[in-house]
Amino acid sequence: MQRRDRDSGILQSLGKPLTKRVKESRVLLVGAGGIGCEVLKNLVCCGFGTLPQAQHGLNGATAETQSGHTAVMPRQPGIVVIDLDTIDLSNLNRQFLFRKQHIKKPKAFVAKETASQFNPSVNIEAHHASVFDRQYNVEFFEGFDLVFNALDNLAARRHVNKMCLAADVPLIESGTTGFNGQVQAIKKGVTECYDCNPKPVQKSFPICTIRSTPSQPIHCIVWARSYLFPELFGTSEEDSTDVGVTEADSAEEVAKLKVEAEALKNVRRMMGKSEFAQEVFDKVFHDDIERLRSMSEMWQSRKPPQSLRYDALKAEIDADIIKHGQALATRDQTTWSLHDNLAVLCYSLDVLSSRAQTGEPVIEFDKDDKDTLDFVASAANLRSHVFGIPLHSEWEIKQMAGNIIPAIATSNALTASLCVMEAFKIMRSQAQAQNGLSKPNANNNHPTTTQSSMIGKPEPTLGGAKMVFLNSRSTERMVTTQGLVPPRPDCPVCSPVYAKLAVSANTNATLQDLVLLLQQRVGYDEFSITTDAGVIYDPDLEDNLPKQLTEYASAAQGNSFVTVTDESDLPKVDLVLSMMVQSTTDGADSLQVIPEQISLPLKPQKAPEVDGDLDGDADPEPVLLPNAGAKRKRDAEEEVEGAKKRAKAGKAEVLEVDDDGVITLDDD
Amino acid sequence: MATAPQDVPPPLKDIPTAKEKKYDRQLRLWGASGQVALEETHILLVNSGPGVTGVETLKNLVLPGVGHFTILDSAVVSEADLGVNFFLEDASLGKFRAAETVRLLMELNPGVEGHAITEPLETFITQDNVFAPYSLILAAAPIDPTILAQIQSQARTLQIPTFYFHCVGYFSCFSVLLPPAFPIVDTHPDPTATTDLRLLAPWPALMQFTKEKTGGLEEGKLNAQDKAHIPWVCLLLHYLEQWKEQHDGKLPASYAEKTEFRKLVRSGDPHEENWDEACAAVLKSLNPPTPSSSVREILEAPEARDINTTTPAFWLIANAVQHFYTEHKQLPLPGAVPDMKAQSADYIKLQNIYKSKAREDAAEVLAHVRKLEQSIDRSPDLAVEDKEVENFCKGAAHIHLVRGRPFQIAQAGEAIMFGDRAKAMAMELTMPESLIGLYIAFLAWDTFVATHSSPAHEAGGQALKVPGSGEDWEADTEKVTGIAHTVVDNLIKEAGTLIEDPEYAELKQKVSEFVQELVRAGGGELHNIASLTGGLVAQEVIKAVTRQYVPVDNWCGFDGVGSRTGVLRL
Repeated sequence: MQRRDRDSGILQSLGKPLTKRVKESRVLLVGAGGIGCEVLKNLVCCGFGTLPQAQHGLNGATAETQSGHTAVMPRQPGIVVIDLDTIDLSNLNRQFLFRKQHIKKPKAFVAKETASQFNPSVNIEAHHASVFDRQYNVEFFEGFDLVFNALDNLAARRHVNKMCLAADVPLIESGTTGFNGQVQAIKKGVTECYDCNPKPVQKSFPICTIRSTPSQPIHCIVWARSYLFPELFGTSEEDSTDVGVTEADSAEEVAKLKVEAEALKNVRRMMGKSEFAQEVFDKVFHDDIERLRSMSEMWQSRKPPQSLRYDALKAEIDADIIKHGQALATRDQTTWSLHDNLAVLCYSLDVLSSRAQTGEPVIEFDKDDKDTLDFVASAANLRSHVFGIPLHSEWEIKQMAGNIIPAIATSNALTASLCVMEAFKIMRSQAQAQNGLSKPNANNNHPTTTQSSMIGKPEPTLGGAKMVFLNSRSTERMVTTQGLVPPRPDCPVCSPVYAKLAVSANTNATLQDLVLLLQQRVGYDEFSITTDAGVIYDPDLEDNLPKQLTEYASAAQGNSFVTVTDESDLPKVDLVLSMMVQSTTDGADSLQVIPEQISLPLKPQKAPEVDGDLDGDADPEPVLLPNAGAKRKRDAEEEVEGAKKRAKAGKAEVLEVDDDGVITLDDD
Repeated sequence: MATAPQDVPPPLKDIPTAKEKKYDRQLRLWGASGQVALEETHILLVNSGPGVTGVETLKNLVLPGVGHFTILDSAVVSEADLGVNFFLEDASLGKFRAAETVRLLMELNPGVEGHAITEPLETFITQDNVFAPYSLILAAAPIDPTILAQIQSQARTLQIPTFYFHCVGYFSCFSVLLPPAFPIVDTHPDPTATTDLRLLAPWPALMQFTKEKTGGLEEGKLNAQDKAHIPWVCLLLHYLEQWKEQHDGKLPASYAEKTEFRKLVRSGDPHEENWDEACAAVLKSLNPPTPSSSVREILEAPEARDINTTTPAFWLIANAVQHFYTEHKQLPLPGAVPDMKAQSADYIKLQNIYKSKAREDAAEVLAHVRKLEQSIDRSPDLAVEDKEVENFCKGAAHIHLVRGRPFQIAQAGEAIMFGDRAKAMAMELTMPESLIGLYIAFLAWDTFVATHSSPAHEAGGQALKVPGSGEDWEADTEKVTGIAHTVVDNLIKEAGTLIEDPEYAELKQKVSEFVQELVRAGGGELHNIASLTGGLVAQEVIKAVTRQYVPVDNWCGFDGVGSRTGVLRL
């Protein structure tokens, strides 16, 4: 079919070389949510990966060819989308590739289907899977010219960051929250990586604060969501990451809490019986409270809790308590009274019990599952009442319990467009690199030898890509930028040199063989080897040497990395090897480090002056003023933080339980 | 404490639950009132070219649930459209572009009504009162400048907010026409900036409560538990009394005094959490209750002074608040109390003290509003709602007023004049970060369109020729650059200033570079820039229709090469 002339606008704006590069590119989009849908539309409309394979063939030549083990395949133009999620009603106000009839279907498949309608000739490959899966190994990532992160959680962002560093593929990281957004281009050895700036970790509450001495609404909400709810409806061995035993907890009290939880399991067995609600209520709001109250030393400077009795409260409600609770549950913006909360609790216990007994043995808390939210809101409020803490409406509790981040169509559209703009800049620089010189060895792409210093002519970092900030709530500074910053020399994630370790599937190669290979190839003196599970070899640990390497590879869930650390006095940077088990190719060694040439620079000294003297790693861009830039960035981060705070109804303590950090802006 | 269950009213009368769930993530930003305003909006998109910025804008408004939208476009779908417009499909070929786009946009949200008008713009505009049904107009460039002028003139008469936008290559911009008085009550200021506890001007009920809570503190008669639960507001008030005794009745005002005062507070207890909270609050909470100059300016505006039977509610309330301010030397109390360490019962008491004072203040303002209504014989149908007065009082310290101004339209044979903005814009010319160069380049681009197009129905007429779209883009570049440089020179002359070399040469060079980029794109859009512009415009539309947040006033440009926006007031 004579296809429309889609080039006119693109060709005139981008020019021929870049248009060609865009059309023959193969890109990965991780996440098909708010930003993901918009990025996909942009990619499709801008012609990414639209070149039919038949006309193609140039690009394959640039693929890594250092080893016989790396298959030299022409890179097929196209867009690959990975998303684990299914579609929810609350997505439809912004994730425009989805309609009501798509609810509960996989986002990746529906996104592909809808986007393909625009142009059936685009090459979209959809994966309904987790990006942590083993199939998405370093080689998989090496198959792309560019990766877009459109994720909603810290763990996946960090994982893709690491995979892109290992594969030496540029990454465009993005996120939104409310009216704010951020885009960051990342390239190994050229820019900061996602982990160069530490992210605040999720705050874990001391177990005793949650279970014995709550003083804030959030403590009661966490108790209801992460303790009571899973004990009643979840898997029994549920342990939550936001509550942990800390130094502040007394061992004695922790032991008693275990007994308490055990007793609750007995109550759980009453589920379905008419007295279930009463049993639960009296257990957690009377018996447990009385036990706490009896520990007088705990209440010397605190007001002791006041226990409640189910019978006494219920007698004061002059209605069918479950029906009454059902009606109240729809009024989620009013703060329920003590009795109202009891009614809603009874109603939610009733609904959840029958769900649990009709084919849903395990129910997980989900902020968008109204039954579970009703339970958590009413139980949290009742506990707040017991401890003399102000009550809140279900609407407010939802935000605190679910770490809800406001999300709107406009911010996603803006952020996604900015992502693609940065993609153009990076691809332009790739196009130039392709014309000018051969791609430098992937593993030599270290901070001390950036491309620009090698060719001796200053060129903007990544084709002039920037860190871009969106704040459409403001008017004066809606879209602003900051120059990209060189990698942090001591970043544990991007300062190592990444390489691959190919292990034949049927080999008997042992750890000993690897140690010998590394000594010979890298010239190590003393060194250690670490896997996800811990240290497996160091100069004093030789027990594992006879173990077969394939054991380590198969023990790891997902993708396995092995870190080699130089233990000498003047250490080189770490070497991170991604292990690949391969079916045997004839004539190849059973154990191979790829590439053959590995040159590890020395680890940077601790003293900052020395870092400053390293030649060639300064960003050649004249506009970059590191101090001003850092200040700007801090301001922008504060903006983002501020927005999060605002999003959390102004409750600073709630902010701390948010599992994500500053540039981990979220939109589910 | 026997409590019979209260009658349960129907769930949120404005937003039924399923809808609430779908719009949950946005309701947390603009609330039910913003959502209702959005749903009462009818947007008209006037689209004459193949660009998709308008469609992308609509997409971002259909998703959050705008009430109605209409696309006015007489073109028929061509192959080229299929290549750029995500909201068209192969089967759309040969059908009306407006109708097809409306159909596919409506698929995004069954709650939204879309309409298509396929009548040619030049006849459509000749009908009487043709824009009356719409609450907001979007006009996409390129457009016949005489028609654009007619749209703007009618929109001004009807006070309909109007956006005019461009998207060419890596660049885009939009101009906004808002009514001459566009007040915003709900500006969503930073919550940390809004806490107003009146600690320097406490009223009797608050002092009484403070005495109850802090009685015996100095004598050491309070038990540990009571002491640890004195709300920090009371602590500060308590120590302020002490301070006044030691300082001739004066309050801590300067930074040094406040720091000194903080030491006094700290001396009360070195460890307790509520003392920590009190110390942390000293610098930001001890503010005199005086409004900013911009708020006073609004309260004193002629609209608030000269009221009549049709004066909008905002100005009636502003008049009453001004009256309140003259009387009490402070604005009505907002009434919110931040979270703090306290016994639940005390916290609720404290909340009630602030709430009832806020209610009293609002009631006083309301009484004055009613008196005004009577004095001007205002019809009861137009009576100001109590809730509106309450809202105004809550946000009084952060109200904002936009004085909407018409945007400049380049007409064939007419010189571009900047009028009272000439001096300010000439200043912009010398600012390295300003995007005035882009503004002028787009103005020159429009001038080229105005001088090279003639209505299609005239003999030899060539509808809307944009620079760079023909064979000879170098000639077009030269022409547009010439126009842009003339605009620069006239602006400098109009402002009565002088810009000398090398600055003058540099700014002309900058303008030339923008022009070159615009002409090189030949009127073609880059999809992601159109999408971004659609996001920016939609965001501003939401601000305008919800009357929340502070909108752009009145031009915003986007430079894709630098990935940044800039705003100008013209």
